[in-house]
Amino acid sequence: MYGGDEVNAIVIDVGTHAVKAGYAGEESPKVYYPSCVGALTRDKTETRDTNGKSGQNGAQAGGRDVEMAEAGADASTTPKKEGEASKAGNKSDRDLFVGHFALNYRRDGMEVLSPFEQKTGLLNDWEIVENIWNYTLKDRLQIDPKEHPVLLAEPNFNTNECREKSLEILFETFQPPAVFLSKNACLSSYSAGRPTSLVIDMGHQSSVAAAVHDGYLLQKSVSRSRIGGDLLTECMHRSVQSKDIKVRPRYAFERTESKQNKGTFDVKELDDYKGSTTETYHKWSVEQILSDLKETVCRVSESVFNEEEHANIPTVTYELPDGTEVQIGSDRFKVPEVLFNPGLVQTFQDAQTIENMGVLPLQSMTSLVMESITKVDVDVRKELYNGIILAGGSSMLPNVRERLEREILEQAPGQARVKVIASQNVMERKFGVWIGGSILASLGSFQQCWMSKQEYEEKGASLIHLKAP
Amino acid sequence: MSWQSYVDDHLMVDLPSGGKLTAAAIYGQDGGCWAQSAGFPALDADQAKILVTGFSDPGAVAASGIRIGDKKFISIGGIPGECLRGRKGAGGCTVKKTNTAMVIGIYDEGVQGGDCNVIVENLGDYLIGQNI
Repeated sequence: MYGGDEVNAIVIDVGTHAVKAGYAGEESPKVYYPSCVGALTRDKTETRDTNGKSGQNGAQAGGRDVEMAEAGADASTTPKKEGEASKAGNKSDRDLFVGHFALNYRRDGMEVLSPFEQKTGLLNDWEIVENIWNYTLKDRLQIDPKEHPVLLAEPNFNTNECREKSLEILFETFQPPAVFLSKNACLSSYSAGRPTSLVIDMGHQSSVAAAVHDGYLLQKSVSRSRIGGDLLTECMHRSVQSKDIKVRPRYAFERTESKQNKGTFDVKELDDYKGSTTETYHKWSVEQILSDLKETVCRVSESVFNEEEHANIPTVTYELPDGTEVQIGSDRFKVPEVLFNPGLVQTFQDAQTIENMGVLPLQSMTSLVMESITKVDVDVRKELYNGIILAGGSSMLPNVRERLEREILEQAPGQARVKVIASQNVMERKFGVWIGGSILASLGSFQQCWMSKQEYEEKGASLIHLKAP
Repeated sequence: MSWQSYVDDHLMVDLPSGGKLTAAAIYGQDGGCWAQSAGFPALDADQAKILVTGFSDPGAVAASGIRIGDKKFISIGGIPGECLRGRKGAGGCTVKKTNTAMVIGIYDEGVQGGDCNVIVENLGDYLIGQNI
């Protein structure tokens, strides 16, 4: 039992795109950074040779630690520094780089890895997870985990094994006084202030629809689709490629002012990086640029997207990091339209590779919502239609709310009153799950629900399935 | 130990976070009542059959709900093959499957769902250990 007043709980939401963390009771997460980490296989002989081939500016080639000290980054998660926190230590032979600063600095041979397994959407690389929690608690929040209960947000379809593993690592390594696991949909529901709702979470690697009744997730109602932010970004990529434009990350080009005409710039593509930069890193860097492009120019069409009608849309200009200007016209609407009409994926260049991105079906948002509602008890359905909550990064696209409401109205039974709720403050949609956690962990009535360290030691991790269904 | 004392002394007790279960019972999977607390809505044979199918296929009860006597609970899921859990407003129920029986607990406002789960499922696990 923990008094909500004296001790502040920490809320951590590790998503497929980003990690959100902060103190319960606050309006938004203090900590926000990509959930992918850089992984560098440690040289067997422990020497760090970054001279010569890397082609970086000579001064910085002196070694990773020196670079990090110069940049003032808090990016280090080398095992020695973690020795205290993680009793297990990094068993594998790789160094992990967590956070914005660490990831944005290009290192030879550094791979970008996600703690999530693409196929299942569940956490499966526990070493990365432990590093993420460590970075969040010790480096960013700078607290002693032994003093703060931790509330973790978990996927709606999380398995029992995964939950037990999370608890094990949390309790054994960080030893918080208490822990609770809460499903994403329940937290989104709390943040919207509705105990009963249908939550549609448009995430990065997938979209999930789930019904929540009186604060409890209805397990059978969980439906998933492959269509997520990363798929939309990939479609954007194809659209840009079809205009014969190559997206170059910062490290791949050099801009010099032309001597003849002052004010104009020559862009020279650099080749030195090609050998030493990993494919995953390059892909990640390009994805960051395209993601920004997508977020800036895309809007959802108010009615069903029609190629001919939108062909005359005035184009918008976007400047890529190397100065190239891209003109985006009807693709501004076509890319987000994939959310409602997955068939459009076929019309992009090399569609097959997009489709092969995962195992889940490509289901539209509307059909996800409908599927989820039909799997639920008949008595609850009316209330669900009346409270459909938007969550997740992709729900920040303009007009998503209106469009979804319109589409569901068409498919819902005649007498149902359909209402799609989305926070006016768009950032809240991205942080919806975290905010719900912040609310939940600060409620007086919640304080008796925590699973304490003592209970974990006495009864084992499996108690969580009873305490937090 | 008689079944009634299982219900009275092990289910209808004070819970860690306060309050008590509203009603509890142990029924055979055939619908026969082994013991129940006063005020437990009697389960009939058909309802018992639905619950038993629900253990192996929670999807079946997801749409129609968990019915115990005249009470209806919205199924929130459970662990396939082991238990079913339901909610009704601020209260709910937990139905735990043992080898030949089911342990049922019903709670109302003021009691935490987690507490009901713990008390009902722990008794169920004990009975399973006794081959009942």
